[in-house]
Order: sequence, then structure tokens, then C-alpha cells
Amino acid sequence: MSDDRRPVDERFEPYEPRRRVPLPVYWIAIALAIWGTLTLWRDAHAGFIAGRQRGDEAAADTRRAAAPGADLFLARCSSCHQPDGSGIAGAVPPLAGSPLVKADPSVVVRILLRGIDGPITVAGQHFDGHMPSFASVLDDDQLARIATYVRARFGDNASAVSPSDVAAARAWAAGHPGPWRGGDEIRAALMPLLEPQPAYVASLIAAPDPSILALVQHGTGGGWSCASCHGDLGEGHGDAPRIAGLSSPYLLAQLRAFAGGARTSDAMAPVATSLADAQKIALASYYSQLATPSASVPALQGALDRGEALALDGDSAKGIPACFSCHGSSGFGVAPAFPPIAAQQPAYTAGRLAGFARQAKQGSHALMPSVAARLDDADRRAIADYLATLPPVPTGTAPPAEQH
Amino acid sequence: MNHPEEPAEAEPLSDLKKGQNTSRGIYAIAGGVMLFAFGALVAGVIHSHGEQADTSKSAPADGKIAFTPPPESKIPDGPGGDSIRHGMAIFRNTGTEAAQYVGNGLTCSNCHLDAGRKPLSAPMWSAWVSYPQYRSKNKKMNSMEDRLNGCFSYSMNGQGSPSGGPPPKGDPIYTDLEAYFHWLATGAATGAKLEGAGFLKLKKTPLGYDRLRGQVVYQQHCAECHADDGQGRTDLNSRSIFPPLWGPHSYNWGAGMTQVNNAAGFIKVNMPLGAGNTLTDQQAWDVAAWIDSQERPKDPRQKGSVADNAKAFHNKEQSFYGKTVDGHLLGTGTPPAH
Repeated sequence: MSDDRRPVDERFEPYEPRRRVPLPVYWIAIALAIWGTLTLWRDAHAGFIAGRQRGDEAAADTRRAAAPGADLFLARCSSCHQPDGSGIAGAVPPLAGSPLVKADPSVVVRILLRGIDGPITVAGQHFDGHMPSFASVLDDDQLARIATYVRARFGDNASAVSPSDVAAARAWAAGHPGPWRGGDEIRAALMPLLEPQPAYVASLIAAPDPSILALVQHGTGGGWSCASCHGDLGEGHGDAPRIAGLSSPYLLAQLRAFAGGARTSDAMAPVATSLADAQKIALASYYSQLATPSASVPALQGALDRGEALALDGDSAKGIPACFSCHGSSGFGVAPAFPPIAAQQPAYTAGRLAGFARQAKQGSHALMPSVAARLDDADRRAIADYLATLPPVPTGTAPPAEQH
Repeated sequence: MNHPEEPAEAEPLSDLKKGQNTSRGIYAIAGGVMLFAFGALVAGVIHSHGEQADTSKSAPADGKIAFTPPPESKIPDGPGGDSIRHGMAIFRNTGTEAAQYVGNGLTCSNCHLDAGRKPLSAPMWSAWVSYPQYRSKNKKMNSMEDRLNGCFSYSMNGQGSPSGGPPPKGDPIYTDLEAYFHWLATGAATGAKLEGAGFLKLKKTPLGYDRLRGQVVYQQHCAECHADDGQGRTDLNSRSIFPPLWGPHSYNWGAGMTQVNNAAGFIKVNMPLGAGNTLTDQQAWDVAAWIDSQERPKDPRQKGSVADNAKAFHNKEQSFYGKTVDGHLLGTGTPPAH
């Protein structure tokens, strides 16, 4: 009202009346400022801790460098031969005191490259030897470091092995495919003075029926062939699993489950349905006998050390048992129910684990769903990638050399 | 005249403004702090809500203290660390590292899971802080070495080993095992009631336990790993992956695991491995009865008949020792393992 009575001011400039900033804006600004300060402080603190951890890791690296091969030995050999090289009575030969370790360096290297599949006597103890070939999963430098470490620690400081020694042995092994046929063949070829070795008895593996080979390569007509997804030698590709060397009862059970719908797969259901039961039996038997080198490589950016920890020791805080506590040493499987998981294609492993976790969500209390439900995505990728670095199960018949 | 008036008029106004600004400032800061506190509270509630189920389950029930053993990477270097590591190796690979004194196919870590770390599978960190202890089993004060001697005699069936018994008094096997236990218990209070100690004391069920009901549970939930005949399974190198539960390669009739209540508590929490606590209490009792009503190596304490020994040592136990099942007197023992 009083405004009306005021004289018109000629110099008046129109202006926006200044309105006070409402209090809630201040509240939010101050709350955000406190939050920001705290976050910055926490980050700086975490950075400090991370720096200290990096320091610890660097120290561990130095220790490893002091004994090159020690880390590889722990990761690749100790789950069977044990961290102290004592082996397992009745199952895994000792490295400590083994004459094979002390002998010419080529012996250890050639065993690492070819693996063993046959009886062997070490220091008077008899073993049914099944050691994997590391040729497809470790390079010359890594193998040289393992051989050097094993010989120095368990072979009375025997001489070092160089990567070029391994390269030479690899060239030789290319002409000698398949695992060593037990201690007998090693004695005959490399160490005539080795203690007497048990004779190798070839297991009678029937040559595959030509109709089965046709099935593998060309399928049932209309449907996919096995080889079109699983590869010529069952080595797998992408999310099509490696099936070479899996046990015959396991493979047969899966084929029947796909056909019957107990295990669902859009890719496998039509194939398994089109196969007669006799064909399923023959295919399961064929693939169980193939000792195909690993074609799996880590592909999912999984943390390999986390994968190794889960495979060997599990994670008790999350209630996850070690993979190997059921799938056997180095993931070679325990017949009939627990398939080999070593050298499996990582995309398949991760996908299968995710599938088990879905089953748990749908109410399954079965073993694998219970375990998989406790793995998060990063754990699944870590396990899948780690298993892809392992050598394949050391049994069966080597594929013909000319196919590679 | 107008000029001096203006400041006079403005001054009380600006005082008022100042006062208003100060109180506004206080409101703004107080409100901001309260908003932050409220936000933090909401975030905290949301965050903890997911873990609520777990924390409420593992919350100490009767004043027991939570304990976590140190990680393996913390084992010290040097001779002390070597002893700890060797103790751990014996624990995990008993048949090789203590081959002279093991008369079956078991390792310590078959029942003390996770190399003696897992709560409610008689973890070694809780055992370490409870000894020396009086035990009615042998009616004397037991040192940890006495206790381990018992493990080798019964659970590891020392009578069937190459030496014919447990390691002799003072053997380094005991020292190294004790070094490992002592290290596992780093930071645990002596004599403390630790959460997860021993086995679960499973409550009795109205139905009691029945071995034939247990046989059905066994076929459904156990046989895939431990095999129909209870002899376990090995990998392709004949390495034991799933331990034998009865028969000549398993624990003998003197072992604590032959008492159905112990086996039931172990099974309920820990079995099937990776899917613990999925069996009902009734299933755990029944399947424990099935496993513990099978023949196994004889009780090494037996001097006279099974009936005499049952009276002397198995009187107060929930055990099938000395009972006749399917026409067979349990306790007579299995032939020595090869």
C-alpha cells in the first residue's frame, strides 16, 4: 500500500529482489561437504594401506626372485608332490630323494613335457603314475625355472636348467607324443641305471568304430556334429566345453540328461535327442579316451591368484569348499560323479557356475548349486580362468602327432 | 540532516540482520550435520541389512568369544616357522608325514576340516587353549601330547600301522603338531570359551535315531562321494579324495567319532561338504547311526571279550559297540588293512 504513495524515481533501475537462499540448500551443501571430506580422507588412508601392501608384494617378489621357480613349484607341483616334496604314500611319488630328480637335467624336463601314464617305482615305493604333461600350459622359461628349482631343492643342488635346454627337449618330445609309459620306458630311454621298474601293460583300448568317427565329424545328418563345436579332438572352444578325457560314465550321463531334459541346453538338446543310446555310449567312450592337449587359455580377466586360492583352499569365510576337495587333485576329477575341471574352457566353466547359482535361487539344495550360490561374478571368472591354466587330466590315448 | 539519519536507521536494521544471519548460519550448519548423520544412519542400516541374517546367526550366544586363526601366509620364517609348516603338513598328509604311526586311510584334516581351522569341526585353535585337561575317557589329566597320542591310537588306528602304535612319547611329530596348533591359536585367550569350539551338540529328536532310516539318507546324500560301501573314493593316482567311513581303512572302535552324538553334530554342520546345515537334525542323527553301526578296526583297549570291553569303555556312550546288528556283534573288528 505504501508503495503507491512513493514518488516515481526517475533513476529507478528494475531489479530482481534478492531472495535468501533457503536453509535446506545450505543443509545439503554442508552435508555433501562433510561426506566429501570424509571420502577424501578415507581414500587417502586406503591409498596409504595399498602402498604398504605394494611394498609387501615387492618384498615377496624379491624373495621369489631369490629362488626363481619357488612360486611356480608351489602353484604347479605342490598340490600333488606336497610343499615339502614328500609326495603322498601310495599315490604320488616323492621328489625329495628321487633318483630321477638328481639325474641328467633332461630327465626332469622330459617328464614335465610328456607327463607319465603308467606304473613307476621311486625309492622302492610303487606308484600307479598319472602325471600331466605341462607342455601345453607352461613355456620354456617357466619349465626351466621349475626344473631348476626342483633339482636344486630336492636333488642335492643338482645343476640348473636353461630355457634352451627345454626348447631342445620340446623339439625331441614333438617326435615322441603322449605320456611316458611308466618308469619302464623312462628307464629304457633315459636312465639305464634306474632301479628295476614295473612292466607297462597297455590297456586294451578298442580303435573307434568308423561310424563313430563319422558321427564326430559329420553328426547325425541335419544336427550339428560334435567336432563343429567341441573341436576335432574334443578340446572345446568358447562356451562349448572341453570333453576330451572326461570319464565315460559322466559323459554318458550328460548326453542322457540333455536328451531327457534333466540338463537344459538349447545347443545340446536336439543333438542328444537325435542320438541313439548305443551312439551315446560309443561317443562317451571315445571322448573319455582322448588325451588332447589343453587349448584353454584364461579369457575372462579373472584374478588368477584368487582362482588358485578358491581351487586349492576354498574360502571358509564365505563357506566355499576347495574345488579340488571334490574334483580331486589338480582338478583331475573323481569318477563317476565329479568330472575333471582342469584345462576346461573358461567361458564354459563360468557359465556352468552361473547356471548352478540360478538353480540355487530356484530352491535347489544340491551340492554344486549350494556352493555356486556363494560365488560372485568375480569369483566365477577367477576360478574359470585359473582352471584354464592347468594341464589336462593325464590319462587316455594321445591324439596322432600329425594332427597338430 | 537526512544523511546522518540514514546510518542511524540502518544500524539497528543491520544488527537485526546480523543476528538473523548468525542464527541462520547455526541452523544451516546444524541442519547440514544432522542431514549427514541421518544419511549415514540410513546408509548404515541398508548396508547392514544384507548381513543381518549372517550376523544374527553367528552372534555369540552364551558369552563365547569369536576367533579367527591367522592366514597361512603369516607363518613366520626360520626354524620355528619350519616346525609349524611341518606340523601343518602332518595334519594334512598324515599317512605320508607320519607313515609309521598311521594304520588307516585317514588324515587329521578329514574330520578337522580346513586343516583344523573350520569352526564346529573341532578346530585346533580351540583345542589348543583347552589343554591340559582332565578327560573321563582315560581318567587322568591329559597334556596336548596325551590327547594327540589318543588321536593316533584310535582315529588314526595306530595298531594297524607299521610301528603298531602311536608315536612314542616326546616324538617330534607331537612337537610339530603342537607348534602348528599354538600358531593357529595366536591371539586366543587361554581357557576361553571360543565360539565354534568342538563339534555341535545336536539336540535329540523326538524320534531318536534309526540306522535303517539313516541308510536311506546315506544313499541320497552321502554315497555320491563316500560310495555305497562307505569306502570313499580316490582320484586316478589312488589318492584318497573322499575318506572311508567304515571298514578296515577307517577310524577304529576307540575313536570319538564312533559315538553317534559326535558324528551327528559333525555331519549336521559340515556335511555334505559345501552344503552343510542342509540335512535336518533327524537326518543327521539317522545317517550318523547308519555309519556308526558298521564294523571297523577293533578297539585297541580291548583285553577280554567285546562285552567286557563294552562295559569297561563304552558304557556311557551313545555307541553301537557291543550291540548285535543283523546277526553281527559290532566291535569284533575288521581284518587288518593291507
